[in-house]
Amino acid sequence: MWLNTALGVGGMVVCWLMSRRKAKRLEVGDGWWGSGERSLREKEDESIRPFKIETSDKEIEDLHHRLDRARYAPPLEGAAFHYGFNSDYLQKVVAYWRNQFDWRKQVEILNKYPHFHTTIEGIDIHFIHVKPPYVPHGRAVQPILMVHGWPGSFYEFYKIIPLLTEPARYGLGDGDVVFEVICPSIPGYGFSEAPHQKGFDTRATARIFHKLMKRLGFKEYYIQGGDWGSGITTNMLIQVMLGAYVPWLVGFTREDVRRMYPFMQKNVYDILRETGYLHIQATKPDTAGCGLNDSPVGLAAYILEKFSTWTDKSFLHRDDGGLERKYSLDDLLTNVMIYWVTSSIASSMRYYKENLSRDPALSDNTRFGVYVPAGIAAFPEEITHVPCCWAKMIFKNIVSYSYMPRGGHFAAFEEPKLLAQDIIHFVRRVEQL
Amino acid sequence: MLLEILLILGTIIFYFLRSRKKEETLSFKEGWWGRGQKPDTEEDATIWPFKVETTEKDLSDLYRRLDEARFTEPLEDSCFHYGTNSVYLRKVVSYWKNQFNWKKQVEILNKYPQFKTKIQGIDIHFVHVKPPCLPEGQSAKPLLMVHGWPGSFYEFYKIIPLLTDPASHGLSDEHIFEVICPSIPGYGFSEAPHKKGFNSVSAASVFYELMLRLGFSEFYAQGGDWGWLICTNLAQIAPNHLRGLHLNLASVTNMGFTHLLSILLGRYLPGLFGFQEEDVRRMFPFLKKGLYRILSESGYAHIQATKPDTVGCGLNDSPVGLAAYILEKFSTWTDLEFRNLEDGGLERKFNLDDLLTNIMIYWVSGCIVSSMRFYKENLQKGIGTQKHEKLPVQVPTGIASFPNEVMHTPQAWAQKKYTNIVSFHLMPKGGHFAALEEPELLAEDILQFVGKVEKEQLWRKKGE
Repeated sequence: MWLNTALGVGGMVVCWLMSRRKAKRLEVGDGWWGSGERSLREKEDESIRPFKIETSDKEIEDLHHRLDRARYAPPLEGAAFHYGFNSDYLQKVVAYWRNQFDWRKQVEILNKYPHFHTTIEGIDIHFIHVKPPYVPHGRAVQPILMVHGWPGSFYEFYKIIPLLTEPARYGLGDGDVVFEVICPSIPGYGFSEAPHQKGFDTRATARIFHKLMKRLGFKEYYIQGGDWGSGITTNMLIQVMLGAYVPWLVGFTREDVRRMYPFMQKNVYDILRETGYLHIQATKPDTAGCGLNDSPVGLAAYILEKFSTWTDKSFLHRDDGGLERKYSLDDLLTNVMIYWVTSSIASSMRYYKENLSRDPALSDNTRFGVYVPAGIAAFPEEITHVPCCWAKMIFKNIVSYSYMPRGGHFAAFEEPKLLAQDIIHFVRRVEQL
Repeated sequence: MLLEILLILGTIIFYFLRSRKKEETLSFKEGWWGRGQKPDTEEDATIWPFKVETTEKDLSDLYRRLDEARFTEPLEDSCFHYGTNSVYLRKVVSYWKNQFNWKKQVEILNKYPQFKTKIQGIDIHFVHVKPPCLPEGQSAKPLLMVHGWPGSFYEFYKIIPLLTDPASHGLSDEHIFEVICPSIPGYGFSEAPHKKGFNSVSAASVFYELMLRLGFSEFYAQGGDWGWLICTNLAQIAPNHLRGLHLNLASVTNMGFTHLLSILLGRYLPGLFGFQEEDVRRMFPFLKKGLYRILSESGYAHIQATKPDTVGCGLNDSPVGLAAYILEKFSTWTDLEFRNLEDGGLERKFNLDDLLTNIMIYWVSGCIVSSMRFYKENLQKGIGTQKHEKLPVQVPTGIASFPNEVMHTPQAWAQKKYTNIVSFHLMPKGGHFAALEEPELLAEDILQFVGKVEKEQLWRKKGE
């Protein structure tokens, strides 16, 4: 259902971009997101400016002071992660953050890929652009635009980028498919300026990213995003009910059935249990974001809860939310720091309101199909499983649909090799078509 | 023929009697909410006096956090549509730092006697105000008043004098009250439960024990927000102890087919469903005034009912974040139109001292997280699924329905649950925080309700 769409903000953007490139196009429109009125006389500055992330003693000290004086409420006995982020475990994370996490070192790691800024529609768009270090003679390099989601960032792609720019080195084929990777930050996230005007939704984002790719000289490119939009329709509900008994009639595979049933438990209750954040962000983002922009500990709890539950639902039963089973604290905290140092949590939340306040049934995702060749990697621990036959309602040209053996929502972060393999497999198919 | 008629009549009478005699009660909920194992010793039932205190350390920590607060600029022309507007919030924070006098407010808080006592393993805080003087031959009626979220016992500070000393405030002194305002466990100065499962029935059981411990075998109860539900549960647990139940919110969570039908057709056939003109005005068009309104205003309830510890974490660490979160409710739930104002209309109905005092109660007690857990404990299984939602209330009930409540419940719906409604008034003005915003109107309604109940000794005739 439409909630599904919002779980993958990046996916929505991808949808837009893809649905544009078809004969039956969506209205592109134009936009202005800077402060005040757009100046009609001035032509927009189209320069692409290199950018380096910086930090200062002041910034680090301020963070440390806030961490030092954080106030915690003890968890209920036996609560694990069922009431949200367990504050006993949070104190351990904060102790690491305060005493061992080295932000300066992480900034160096962030800067190892080239960053840039360019102004589009009145706001500064941040992106990283990584070219393959070596291209075999005569081989084409595929440009790929990778779009992050919430509460992630461009940093989620740091492990998968080398697998795509140098696949042969990592045992992913003989280099027949090689990419140059562009990872922008959605406006309002990380180092991209936040829109100053109301109404900045996925349509505007897609348009801006398309302009970015054009400005970088790419006429054609691949796009990758987490999750993908789909709208629930009565058709789908009937299929769900029938599917429990005669899955083959409805078009569900055995794996689909395994992942989707019992339907109420796995879908409705789970969705309700996990979408409180979506509900409040889609209605009162400035309220929800206020405290989080002022308390780094609160911000960490809010964001890291998702990295726990959306990676594996069973992590709810663990006192430590299973976080360190799949991720390192350095990586998790670097992502949190991106939200903290850029003060972008509130603007990142507004994106939900801009996209979900309108009647979801009227959303263009569900009205226009996507005819561009699509590849789908279905990870087992995603909150909801969307079978291929449902995906086909939106994606009319599915070239590959893979049931991934493991992994959750933050696929690029958690299982970069699996995801890279699937991307390469998909691109191989498309290029030979 | 006669035999058949008699048989049919007999069956009808039998069923009628059976359903009337079925005085369904909710059981009192035993519990132990303290840390660790329940000790074998008997619980200490002493009641000791309590005073709110503050320290220089508390204040300087607060001021430092206010000074270092990080704000996010609002979108142009967004007013309160995206939540609390940070431009206005800065003004509030500036007042908070420079003019708000917490020490003075603490003295105001302490002007009413406060106490604590241990019940079911946790310390329960309450205010207990007796009338300053009683006319010859009159006795004070005990009145339990229960707050909600994001309120506190402080919400009642303006209405208490109107009830304990009505004559001095131009109200009839036919009925005079001694008022008991407890803090719900997990709110303000009441200890938070340490165990899972503390819901409205638990709170009602705890407050029932409190009233018994204070020596009251019969009393009145009044509430709105969670107070509505806790007092309703109290009426279901101990109908023989409750003389009357007064509510300024009366939600109906057990929706049936008739409700659905009345939503679809009520606008066109109000009489058929028992709707008055004012009901229709407040409820329709239903999509706009019902469904969309609920969706746009219930995000907080959804996240608090699922991940209270996550959402509360930052709010317990950032006073500015806490203020934004709480003030948004005092704005929107007082008048939905306030969303269109840059300042959220807050100071039209409340003064900043009162609003900040309420917020300070959450801040100094560190109770925002535990206050939010109450949502999960009550709502995690879904709305309309719990036993008490299906049970009626037979205690004489008075309902004051304020026009700016987010959702309107018409009398036609309320009376399916509250089967003994003695008075139901559509109030002329006011919103969710009635006791703080319209204390006179609410006090008058309570007085007239109690008057009716006492005059007709209605508490003797429950269930008819």
